[in-house]
Amino acid sequence: MLRRNLITIAALAASLAAGSAFAQQTTIRVFSGGSNQRPDLMRRLFDQYQKANPGVKVEIETGGATSELQRQYLSTVLNAKDSAIDIYLIDIVNPAQYFSAGWLEPLDAYVGGTAAMKPYLPVYAQANIVNGKVAAMPAFADAMFMYYRKDLLEKYGIKEPKTWDELATAAKKIQDGEKNPNLQGLSIQGAPIEGAVCTFLLPYWSQGKAFNDAAGKMTLDKDAAVKGMDMWLKLVDQGVMKKNIAEVTTPATVNEFKAGQVAFAINWGFAWDRFKDDADSQVKGKVGVMALPSMPGGKSATCVGGWQWAVSAFSKSKAESAKLVQYLASPASSKFLAVEGSLMPTYQSVYIDADVVKQVPWFKDAANVVIAGQARPISAQYGQVSDAIRTTTSAMLARTKTPADGVGEIESKLVRVMR
Amino acid sequence: MFARLRDPSEKTLGLILLAPAFALLALIVAYPIGKLIYNSFFDLRLSGGSDSFKFVGFANYVDVWKDKDFWGAAKNTILITLITVPGALVVGMGLALLANLPFRRKWPVRLSLLLPWALPLSFCGLIFAWFFHTEYGVVNDVMRRLGSGEPTMWLLSPNWAFTAICATIIWKTSSFMALILLAGLQMIPRSLYEAAEVDGASKWQQFWQITIPMLMPSIVVALIFRTITALQTFDIPYTMTKGGPGNSTETLAMLIHKTTIEYLDVGYGSTLAVCMFLLSMCVTAFYLKRIGRSA
Repeated sequence: MLRRNLITIAALAASLAAGSAFAQQTTIRVFSGGSNQRPDLMRRLFDQYQKANPGVKVEIETGGATSELQRQYLSTVLNAKDSAIDIYLIDIVNPAQYFSAGWLEPLDAYVGGTAAMKPYLPVYAQANIVNGKVAAMPAFADAMFMYYRKDLLEKYGIKEPKTWDELATAAKKIQDGEKNPNLQGLSIQGAPIEGAVCTFLLPYWSQGKAFNDAAGKMTLDKDAAVKGMDMWLKLVDQGVMKKNIAEVTTPATVNEFKAGQVAFAINWGFAWDRFKDDADSQVKGKVGVMALPSMPGGKSATCVGGWQWAVSAFSKSKAESAKLVQYLASPASSKFLAVEGSLMPTYQSVYIDADVVKQVPWFKDAANVVIAGQARPISAQYGQVSDAIRTTTSAMLARTKTPADGVGEIESKLVRVMR
Repeated sequence: MFARLRDPSEKTLGLILLAPAFALLALIVAYPIGKLIYNSFFDLRLSGGSDSFKFVGFANYVDVWKDKDFWGAAKNTILITLITVPGALVVGMGLALLANLPFRRKWPVRLSLLLPWALPLSFCGLIFAWFFHTEYGVVNDVMRRLGSGEPTMWLLSPNWAFTAICATIIWKTSSFMALILLAGLQMIPRSLYEAAEVDGASKWQQFWQITIPMLMPSIVVALIFRTITALQTFDIPYTMTKGGPGNSTETLAMLIHKTTIEYLDVGYGSTLAVCMFLLSMCVTAFYLKRIGRSA
């Protein structure tokens, strides 16, 4: 009898000991975006963190090739108050919406208030502070750039164009000279995808106009917006852009530029690596990158993108997760992502870091483009804002709506949402 | 009480045996539909609109009535139903008659009949989106080889996009029609045709006087199923055009998905879903009354 009791007690003690050892081991599950967000590099960051913090195990989950697909997946998971995922990598347009919905844990208590956002580039600090609270921390930056064929510009003695008109003339000169019917002068994104929001805003912003004020109220100047859309349509009429531009997605622009069929292309920063490194790239060593042109009298402006780390409000290990997020959003991590994957830093200091400049020389100039960049409208109802702009922009480029009608429609749809 | 349960009357036994099925139905049918209707009376914007989670009575329904996007989507849904259901019936009938011919080997015909049906809807949409692509699509390639000039931008003009979507849906769904009709065809006794031949009826007369009347029950079943799924059309337009250009090919199911999942407006999304539910109820009731009687 005594022996049996002893065995029971021993077993109990053993299981208790095992239990407490188990409790020290925290598992954090991270949603790390799609392949463009480089989960392979993130995994290496997590491995480093695990080594330094033996009690923590980081699991990774990936999914959703595009920002819209990820938004749909995350909306479903977060709406269900799922506690399975602790940290989310989210697009710059999402912190406001998710935070307002109560899905993200305010990070102020963990990182020391909004002062912690000071070191970041202003546009990222702004996008991640919602209602005076830290909603997320910047992971890496991105922006739209104008890529061009250096070899073709040299061949025809053309300087980097500063205005859209100069760009049209330059592109036309190259197209006429090359006599290749498949060569496009300029490629932009006209399909009803997230990139079309930027397609609408780029020529509008480049007239020095703003789409919204600091409080998020819409300040749309309809005449300027119509002028911007007319500019795109004129480029189609001139043959600089192709007729089915309303069908062109982000990967289509990348692939056609890679195949040598495009003289100028507007795309995100990640495309640079594709042009430079991909095995099937026909334009290796022939690519230049510059700031976007502007309208006469306006100023160059670009659309800022980028990704943020946010802690789920439903996470069961928030303190541990917040600690990991701080590590992921540190200058060291930013530098690692820049050197290893040309992912753009969110700290100005990292752009001029010697190692970074050696590895990615064009980052020196990129910093200025990103700093001059503008965020897409920040709104708790960003889903509606994005949908109204992208579907209407695509329809205007497909010429199923005139710019005047389309811009009017965007205004009437958003006037209630952005007030 | 327990004594009665130990030796239940026939009626009680019946109720006890039905209870699990009732409970299951209540859980998976009655509760979600009830919750949907309940939600449709609330302002439930998850994106943190100013006064969310508020009872608003019929305000959502009034908004639906005034919503241009709703009527546009309803029009598109009904048009798709009116075009693709008869379309699939005609094509499916042709396929079924073809498959019913006395082939030496039956399985290659049956297999090719089954394949479009087995293909997931979204794959089908993506594949046809490539077919209709302005530059890379096979449709424009064929047209160019036949000597047509300027390429058609299929998915970029409202009418052509609508045509392309309907063609895709007909392709996808006629094999289902054909399967049901083929089963019906094989149940028609050969002796009827033999008797008709003796009486001197032509093939055409045999088709209208024997095949169609004998096939009517199968046709009605196929039509009801197809109409209900046509009213729910989502995958093919979503993958082919995302409802574009503009909202010209957006269906009701897509509008509901957009409102709830992308806009996170659960209240209004529920109201739209209730309206769509009512619409499909009306159509189905109409069907059962009109066609069901004649069959």
